[in-house]
Amino acid sequence: MTSAKKHIRHYAYYPGCSLHASGREYDISTRALFKALRLGLQEVPDWFCCGATPAHNVDELLSHSLCAKNLTLADEVEGDLAVACAACFSRLKTTQHHLKRDDAKRKQVETAIDGPASLDKPVKHILEILARDFGLAKLEESVKKPLLGLKVASYYGCLLTRPPEVPDLDDCEDPSIMEDILRALGAEPVKWSHRMECCGANFTLSRPGVVLHLSNAILKSAQAAGADCIMVACPLCHGNLDIRQQNIESKNQTDYDTPIFYITQLAALAVGVAADKLGFESVIVDPRPMLKEKQLI
Amino acid sequence: MHLSNETMNVGFVKKVEALSGTSVRRCFQCGKCSAGCPMSGFMEHPPNRVVRLLQLGQWERVLAGRSIWYCASCETCTTRCPNKVNLASIMDALRKLSWDADGPSKESYVQLANRLFIENIRTYGRQYELRLGAAFNMKSGQFLKDLMLGPKLLSRGKMKLFHSKNKNLPEIEAIFNRIEEMRKKGEAL
Repeated sequence: MTSAKKHIRHYAYYPGCSLHASGREYDISTRALFKALRLGLQEVPDWFCCGATPAHNVDELLSHSLCAKNLTLADEVEGDLAVACAACFSRLKTTQHHLKRDDAKRKQVETAIDGPASLDKPVKHILEILARDFGLAKLEESVKKPLLGLKVASYYGCLLTRPPEVPDLDDCEDPSIMEDILRALGAEPVKWSHRMECCGANFTLSRPGVVLHLSNAILKSAQAAGADCIMVACPLCHGNLDIRQQNIESKNQTDYDTPIFYITQLAALAVGVAADKLGFESVIVDPRPMLKEKQLI
Repeated sequence: MHLSNETMNVGFVKKVEALSGTSVRRCFQCGKCSAGCPMSGFMEHPPNRVVRLLQLGQWERVLAGRSIWYCASCETCTTRCPNKVNLASIMDALRKLSWDADGPSKESYVQLANRLFIENIRTYGRQYELRLGAAFNMKSGQFLKDLMLGPKLLSRGKMKLFHSKNKNLPEIEAIFNRIEEMRKKGEAL
């Protein structure tokens, strides 16, 4: 069977560094979900680091050059570019946005990458592929095991919506794309205060105290809203809320035990992918006891 | 205080504006950036004061301080500024100017983490998280930092002991070299 028949739509895939390491379950569950929805996903050959925050922090030209080269590599694969990491998504779209509007900058980048900057392939976050390309109605139809009774705090963090002209994903102060997807999956999104507050991002390496402070506020707010779990769409947010959760609890003398899910894990579970195919064994705060209690696995 | 081109040190302000593509001078100090900033509690000068210091020609105080390195790049300030001052880009520009001047700031940990992260791209292509963490601990002298986390991540497959290099590493290296070359020739900031 050719891929065109097998798949209803095909995407090039830029996983980003974290998805091959600390965020491996995001990669595993993204592939499982796309397969279940009959969406093709082909990894961009030889992709490399987008530079993330450290590169643009001190060297904008380097940041744009790394992203522009990756966008050129992505051109070799059929379909729009699917990106799972919020930071990679933000950096790749920032480069497209700026280089399309600034000829001088584009020329410098083209000198750096020794070739034309390819800026036209649509870069799409997994969230928009699910909610818009695939569509909420079709997603709802694809659900085999609705996530009934699961109260989810959807956490957007910073880079999925800010600054508004770059990601062009949803409203920059009051987005709803995550809640819309959750409703389609049969889950119950809770209303809470910290959907868009920063988790401390890459300070987890240099100044972890920052993360312990900011991510504590996020966990506390989700707990106060009665959420069973938090859903994220970024490996860095996941790392700070999951890997650092025990640090946060001991520093603040609290007890959260709040499972942190990737959007793709919850969506895959609802469309019928087996729980043992979603990388739950990799996370620190094991979500399986809670899922069993809710009779979702 | 008398404000003139000289006291404002307008040359430095213009450099920041060229790098960031935004106006430092347009800020009228409403303070909305600092009100929404998740990091202002960690900074000695919150974001609006960083801009005010630039407007008053006090850029050396900004570069010597911690504030620019404690910005998380969350983009809340840029999103909410009523005057469309792209403060997150101003922070990027200030960090670059401080970085180029070999980091006069006392905040060394964030700079060290940035340097190791960028070196990792040049050496491997993709981030090698174990090496990043280990090198940070060695070079910052915090040998025991997050030591308990290592085995947890390794046993769950979240961290790998070995890491292969990208096949196209020479092409990545060439990007770094061409940028250095352009800067040497004065063709790029």
